[in-house]
Amino acid sequence: MTGKRILLVDDEPHVIRVLKLALDAAGYSTDEACNGCQALEKIRGNPPDLLITDIDMPQMSGRDLCDRIAEEMPGRSFGIYVLSARAEDELRRWSQGIGNLDFLEKPVSIRRLLARLKEYFSNDDSGGERQCRQVR
Amino acid sequence: MPLSRLASAWRKERLGLTMIVASLAVIAITVLLLFRYQQRSEENNIQSQGASLVRILTRIPYARFVPETGKAGILSILQQIRGTSDLAYLEIVDAGGRVVEEIAGNDVVVPAASLPTEPAGWVGQRRLVMPGSNRKMIEFHAPLFEHDQLAGYVRLGYLQPVVGPRPDQLEFVASFALPIFLLTPLFYLLLRREVRPVREVNTRLDTLMGGNGLAGSVELAASAELQDFMERFNRFIDASQHRIGELEEDRTQLETSAKLLGYRRSRVESVLQSFPEAVLVLDESGTVSLANARVGQLLDVSNRDIVGKKPVEWCKDPGIIAFLSGQGGRRSHGYHSDALEYTPGSLPGRTFAISPYPLFSPQDTAEPPGTLVVFRDITAEKLARDSSGEFVAHVSHELKTPLNVLAMYSEMLQGAEGGREQFRIEAANIIHDEVERLALLINNILSITKIETGSISIERKRVKLRDLLEDTFNACARGGQEKHIDFQLDLPHEISPVALDKDLIRIAVNNLLTNAIKYSDEHGMVRMAVEETERTVRVSVRDKGIGISPEEQEKIFDKFYRSQNEEVSRRSGHGLGLALAREIIQLHHGTLTVNSAPGEGSEFVIEFDKEAELLRRAV
Repeated sequence: MTGKRILLVDDEPHVIRVLKLALDAAGYSTDEACNGCQALEKIRGNPPDLLITDIDMPQMSGRDLCDRIAEEMPGRSFGIYVLSARAEDELRRWSQGIGNLDFLEKPVSIRRLLARLKEYFSNDDSGGERQCRQVR
Repeated sequence: MPLSRLASAWRKERLGLTMIVASLAVIAITVLLLFRYQQRSEENNIQSQGASLVRILTRIPYARFVPETGKAGILSILQQIRGTSDLAYLEIVDAGGRVVEEIAGNDVVVPAASLPTEPAGWVGQRRLVMPGSNRKMIEFHAPLFEHDQLAGYVRLGYLQPVVGPRPDQLEFVASFALPIFLLTPLFYLLLRREVRPVREVNTRLDTLMGGNGLAGSVELAASAELQDFMERFNRFIDASQHRIGELEEDRTQLETSAKLLGYRRSRVESVLQSFPEAVLVLDESGTVSLANARVGQLLDVSNRDIVGKKPVEWCKDPGIIAFLSGQGGRRSHGYHSDALEYTPGSLPGRTFAISPYPLFSPQDTAEPPGTLVVFRDITAEKLARDSSGEFVAHVSHELKTPLNVLAMYSEMLQGAEGGREQFRIEAANIIHDEVERLALLINNILSITKIETGSISIERKRVKLRDLLEDTFNACARGGQEKHIDFQLDLPHEISPVALDKDLIRIAVNNLLTNAIKYSDEHGMVRMAVEETERTVRVSVRDKGIGISPEEQEKIFDKFYRSQNEEVSRRSGHGLGLALAREIIQLHHGTLTVNSAPGEGSEFVIEFDKEAELLRRAV
């Protein structure tokens, strides 16, 4: 799992900062973007192993970012976790159209997130199906 | 005699006169038929007598008809035997046609006539006219022989009987006609006496038909049968009079009820017309029985085309047709809230809720006699509902974002990272910032909610604006020292009195100053100044920060609006500060405006009316 690259997208610098600290300490390689546009550029250049993005962001929201990814990269291999205040029904219906996407409901528990990521990437290493699972 | 009297007499006695005329006609016809019968009878006698006599005479030898001198011939003998019968003449002619012997009655002229020479025509009869008088005659003729040789002819002439009375018949006619003629008036008088009650009844019926009512029963002396009829008739009249009275009473009650119903209906219609919403009533069959004018305006159709018709006949919207068509025969109990949302084409942006309410009859609560349909304008309600949902979503997001940071940092502090001095200091600062952010957010949410719900009580007092602004400015300046910003305060020595709620104004000014500091770069400048005009006090907060694009300058006062500018999004904010500031300034009847350009900074300007100006406007 060491060396797996995770792209963090959030307009809140403090969120990026603390997630980066936690994931770096756990051995992941992290990259960051403060909105959807920046993130899309980085994904096009070098797709990450996992994307963690906020929903409510200026310029391009997390939802628009996911739509663009689904449109441009139909056969993508990386999963997406979406940070959201509330995973409403409407948002869940939308996520089904994206695929391999789940939610991280705020406030996020670092411990549970790391456990989730470990499980996610262990499936990858064993050649099993990699699917995002919701972390609370 | 005047014609009018004749006409009157005819009207009164037409029955009697008709009977007299009829009896005379009967007498005349009877006598005429009698005479005709008599004439035919006499003619038959002549035929019989003439035929038989001429057959007898033809058997007598011709010579016997020629009288010897001094002796009477057969004709003379025959004349004596028959006397003055209808026989007009007897004549013997020889074979050459010369008259040999002739006997004729008085005033009878024997018509000359040739006799047939052919044997087939020797015996026969014929009709002749007596010369000089046009009297019709019947002649019988036959041949006479002498030694089996035709020697002459015999001619018997009879006067043809005429129709009409003869003097000897006058007595018979009189004895026949007189009784009939005399009995006729008698019958008439008797009949008139019997018919008189019927006339009285007619008079009463005329009175009844004329609407004058009945004064009493008919009292008449009449025959037993007619008396029985009259008694029955009187009972019928009494029953009719009673029934008519009842019907009159019923009619009066019905008219009163109809007027009352009409009055109530007009009241109901006026209530419907005055109703602030569009309203219509469907009957059990789904036909519109009532509709106020607003329905027509809303659905863009004339009200005349609505009432008395089913929605499918006048409504253009298929959704409404389907919805209303399902309401007519609906058996629903109690009020229900099934409503159809409708946006009319003529009013884009407006939303109406079409709600059906079953009508109930006090007599039959099981079968609703119809449905009341109300078209309610829910535009404001819907907007409020939507914005309320958005507000909750925004608040949830804005509260959970700092909470998320707090949760993650506190969790990190509990772990291995917590052992690092540098991380602990960083975490402490971030937690402090996020707590302040949360507190400010909660205060702003509470304040803005109070203002919007009207639950805040504004305490407007004459305040020393100079001191208020100075205190607020200095407090903010202390918080912005880290960025080495050049804080400038330009206040006049005296500011005219302004009536304000100083706590609320402090929040508004604080939000403007906080924003100016947040969006200024290090070593930037924040300046607050006050200027007075004749009527207003003008407070401006200026910075040289990142500025705001023209497109965003109005949006920044919307709740939870965050600029799309990347520079802005890097700085924490919840999008409530400016919205709250504007709400507070507007609560004081002031204005809050912005002048800005990207890269050149922004100037927010508060403008209050002076106290004197407020008083002047109030007067």
